[in-house]
Amino acid sequence: MRGLGEVAERLRRSTVQVRSLAGRGSGSGVIWSGDGLVLTNAHVARSADLEVELWDGRRLPARVLARDPRRDLASLRVAAASLEAASAGNSASLRPGELVMAVGSPLGFAGAVSTGVIHSLGPIRGMGEVSWIRAQVRLAPGNSGGPLANAEGRVIGINTAVVNGLGLAVPSDDAADFVRRGARPSLGVTLRPVSAGALILDVEPDGAAAMASLKTGDLLLMSVDELYAALDSGQPALRLRFMRGAPSGGRLPVRETVVRLGERVAEAA
Amino acid sequence: MANELAAFSDELAAVVERAAGSVAAVHARPRFSSSGAFWRPGILVTAEHTVRREEEITVTLPDGSNAAATLAGSDPGTDIAVLRVEAPGTPAVAAADDPAPGHLALALGRSEDSGINATLGIVSAVSGPWRTWRGGRLDRYIRLDLTLYPGSSGGLVLNSAGRALGIATSALSRIAGLAIPAATINRVVDEVLARGRVSRGYLGVGLQPVELPDHQKGLIVLSLEPQGPAALAGVLIGDVLVALGGAAVADTDDIQTVLETHGVGGAIEVAVVRGGASRSLAITVGERPRRI
Repeated sequence: MRGLGEVAERLRRSTVQVRSLAGRGSGSGVIWSGDGLVLTNAHVARSADLEVELWDGRRLPARVLARDPRRDLASLRVAAASLEAASAGNSASLRPGELVMAVGSPLGFAGAVSTGVIHSLGPIRGMGEVSWIRAQVRLAPGNSGGPLANAEGRVIGINTAVVNGLGLAVPSDDAADFVRRGARPSLGVTLRPVSAGALILDVEPDGAAAMASLKTGDLLLMSVDELYAALDSGQPALRLRFMRGAPSGGRLPVRETVVRLGERVAEAA
Repeated sequence: MANELAAFSDELAAVVERAAGSVAAVHARPRFSSSGAFWRPGILVTAEHTVRREEEITVTLPDGSNAAATLAGSDPGTDIAVLRVEAPGTPAVAAADDPAPGHLALALGRSEDSGINATLGIVSAVSGPWRTWRGGRLDRYIRLDLTLYPGSSGGLVLNSAGRALGIATSALSRIAGLAIPAATINRVVDEVLARGRVSRGYLGVGLQPVELPDHQKGLIVLSLEPQGPAALAGVLIGDVLVALGGAAVADTDDIQTVLETHGVGGAIEVAVVRGGASRSLAITVGERPRRI
């Protein structure tokens, strides 16, 4: 159909590859503003030394401005002017069935396009109250952080994950909010929801949880949704109840720790 | 520029929005819910393989509320289950004409958390009546080239004009999702509402296709159910069935096709060759025992 190639080509010019020089993952990114602001996933921008490759092959060093691991977003700054920025769409007015396309570098194929429709919209059980775009597009590792755009080529989401074969994208309105206001408070952990609460799978060094001596394997005695609500409540510190160790016959003692949360990173703007 | 594409995109979303009012989520199995379509007012159809319990079935209606549903009956052969739901004002779907390969197909589902969901693909093949591996007959074989995600089975399959091709199922073919055609759903819904089930004719014989010395084809009786319909009519092991209800039979599929047009309890004439001589017997068609 007329227009599809054209829309894809424009979107390609606003899509970058993001690589970690330390070898910890790579993905895609969206040029959010022409003066060098690039958006990607927090799980793509894990290391401090990042490199961004533009559509024309130019490689630029990138600095992380802000990371929000909970919303899985990160903003990067590259020293370049007059880049071709993507135009953001309005993700609040999306409807299931709308055509969408994803651009990124799945499995290393730079500039690959996949198309489909919006499958559904809204929160996902066990993943907090935030909203997600679920899209019937084929994504692969390397698409992370890249744009999901509508039929006009406007970016309506940041491709983030694949669940049951469906592409999951952070809505562009949330991305714009992140750019405007910086990261929300975060524990700095990877969690798995379990029936008793939330199990800590990984602790980021220097994160709030690490500072409060929480460790991998600890079980937080609250649901992920409750934890996120508490983090968003604006309190500077949270008192968390948790259990540690494998239950051996008897019951494990319930422990408590106080997690001090950092300020919102206001540097992004 | 991209206006045509944007207009097409809007049209697709509008089709989804209009039909969303006829699509419900069905909670009748552990873990994943499935989807269902209001085929008639108060009558929701879904894929039978997603209904794993007969009681405590609930549905999430288009307005987001949950309602109780009762199983009116089901037909595993065609993978259709028929539910009764009190849902005043819920519009029923309008059926489409037969699709052709290449036509666009939209599959609509619903889940309690995310609301309506849509996937787009094409009709990849259409052919005439088709017998499923579960023993039922679909009036058309409509193969879909679209992704059916967990929970999509039982969902409404629409053409680009927003008319219903049928409901989606992933359980009737290993290689692709199918649309159970509208004509089949109408037939099964009628029968389930009238009788509570779809009864299939049964002779109680085990058959093997053979060729007779005169090159006539037939089916030799290898086993007989004691006191089954054929046994009671005097059929013996070793008889060769050559015609049923006046139609020549050369394959077990032919038997199924003839039985579909002869109601349970009615008499049917069977022509057999026994010891080289032809004879005719009258069998009272039984009902195929339900699978457990």
